Amino acid sequence: MSKVKELFNKYQVLAYIVLLALLCVVPFALPKAVYVRYACNILMYATLAGSLNIINGYSGQTCLGQAGFFAIGAYTMGALSTKFGISFWLLLPLAGILAAFVGFLVSLPTLKLKGIYLSIVTLGASEIIRIIAQTWTPVTGGAMGIKQIPYPEMFGLDTFRPKYYYFIFLFIGVIFLFVTKRVLQSRVGRAWISIREDEIAAKSLGVQTSFYKSLNFMYGAFWAGVVGCAYAPFVNYIEASQFSTDTGFNVLAMIVIGGQGTLIGPIVGSTIVTLLTESLRFLESWRYVIYAVLIIAMMWLRPQGIAGASRSILAGGKIKRKKQAAGAEGGATNG
Amino acid sequence: MEYFLNQLVNGLCQGAIYALMAIGYSVIVGVVGMVTFAYGEIMMIGAFGAYYVFQFVGINLPIALLAAFASSFLLGIIVYKLCYERFFNAPRHISLLCTIGFSMLIKNLVQIVFGPETKPVLNIIDNRTFNIPLGGAISIDLKLLQIVVMILVVVLAVTLTLFFNRTRAGVALRAVSQNKDAAYLMGINVKRTAMLGNCIGCGFGGIAGILLAIYYYSISTTTWGGFSMKAFAASVLGGLVDLRMSALGGLCIGIVENLGITISSATFRDVFAFGFLIIMLVLRPQGFASKKGNRV
Repeated sequence: MSKVKELFNKYQVLAYIVLLALLCVVPFALPKAVYVRYACNILMYATLAGSLNIINGYSGQTCLGQAGFFAIGAYTMGALSTKFGISFWLLLPLAGILAAFVGFLVSLPTLKLKGIYLSIVTLGASEIIRIIAQTWTPVTGGAMGIKQIPYPEMFGLDTFRPKYYYFIFLFIGVIFLFVTKRVLQSRVGRAWISIREDEIAAKSLGVQTSFYKSLNFMYGAFWAGVVGCAYAPFVNYIEASQFSTDTGFNVLAMIVIGGQGTLIGPIVGSTIVTLLTESLRFLESWRYVIYAVLIIAMMWLRPQGIAGASRSILAGGKIKRKKQAAGAEGGATNG
Repeated sequence: MEYFLNQLVNGLCQGAIYALMAIGYSVIVGVVGMVTFAYGEIMMIGAFGAYYVFQFVGINLPIALLAAFASSFLLGIIVYKLCYERFFNAPRHISLLCTIGFSMLIKNLVQIVFGPETKPVLNIIDNRTFNIPLGGAISIDLKLLQIVVMILVVVLAVTLTLFFNRTRAGVALRAVSQNKDAAYLMGINVKRTAMLGNCIGCGFGGIAGILLAIYYYSISTTTWGGFSMKAFAASVLGGLVDLRMSALGGLCIGIVENLGITISSATFRDVFAFGFLIIMLVLRPQGFASKKGNRV
């Protein structure tokens, strides 16, 4: 295993380029347009789950309202592009900034409080955003939603075909991973991880926890907004019920199953959940039962998820340590 | 003015149901020490238990309330075994996510087993209205339903308080909620007591569930997440573990909601409830309770 790692480190850049090239070929290699659509969904949810993973996985806060930030991004795109004809590429950062601003507002009441309060406030805020989207008819179209959101322009390609829209999601996903990797290796990212592992210890070492928690929240919300902005033209029609708390829990299921606290985790989770959703469509509502069982099973067996950060508090803290201690004792007596 | 007063009465009645939900929630959080997001589904199961009593036994409120309590109580055992018992020493987000998974599980199973359509709950309590004059031209309408609900909630709250203060099991529950290790050293079976506390909280949630169903004349399978959040909100207002203050928080949320929708439209009901919660968290994060500790 270490040899593989060594080899990977040596040819890291090359590996990434090959991977990116392979990803670029995917939409042309898939035989049916439906499959390309699935690939688009996987990429989109991978980024969305990644943005949630920033909050839940890296700073250890429990955000349950990612659907709200997603909705803000989608409605920014939907409302501004249909009413004023503003370009998609301009709205992409704008949607992110708006979502980050709302994220900042949401994080304000909870900075001095512990995680549980953040989860209820985010859940409440996401519901409030949904209700506003449902009732503020002049801007959000109310219960009718917003139809015929213009497709983005991209080098004159027909972006209404998933084959080309795929590249927009790929672009956002790659930028997200690149920026996030840099952020996580910086002072900011280390501060987040220290807050997750032990907030009191982090405070005593001089980390301004409320500042970094707020920053973390805004960063996560920013990317959710960006993904929302890209989502709106992709489905071409948005309405409030697409952003219910169930959507938020769906994304949550992705990071719980895929893994929290690593960059690869949400991608794995998004792939698994999206493929399961599509392949189990014939089971209708039974598939939500399967998700639920998967979430509970994950919490019992591997709380950090399939590809999550194993050597962290996400992996269960004391239960894990106790088990290891028991294992060590057992080993000692056997030896 | 008259409309305003009537809305106040509505708010009081709805607040009384919220207070019952919040009391149940606070018992769970206080005794187990972890929050639950499956509370809405627990209430739903209680409501369904009572609904099937209405279907098969006939309209008999005491039996229905017992059935609601019992079915939620039993579900409480499963919740406890699945989501709490293993995770007492683990980081809190693990049990939290577990309860979210459990709530998804129950919600979808119920939709599959009992059908996704909203079920009517009609004529449980006579649709009689008392008109109470308040001097001058002002009078308020008081429905029999509202009177029954308020009396029931008060009776249940008093019973629970007596149980906590006068019985051996109640004292054990309070000991566990104050300090699990100390309770363990005093010879209390902490795991069993925590399970009992969780189940009692769930049972109260079940009764609140059927009261809500009677109040709205229907049981739906989808709206319970919102009620669960209101129970949480009310409980937060009371400082999460203080029963009396949680009840007060529930009443406040009920009144704020109903007065809020008089000045806007009924769709903003939840906006007022959660907006009130968020403002309260900014101004007074410890809730109404005076002491600061006991954060969960």
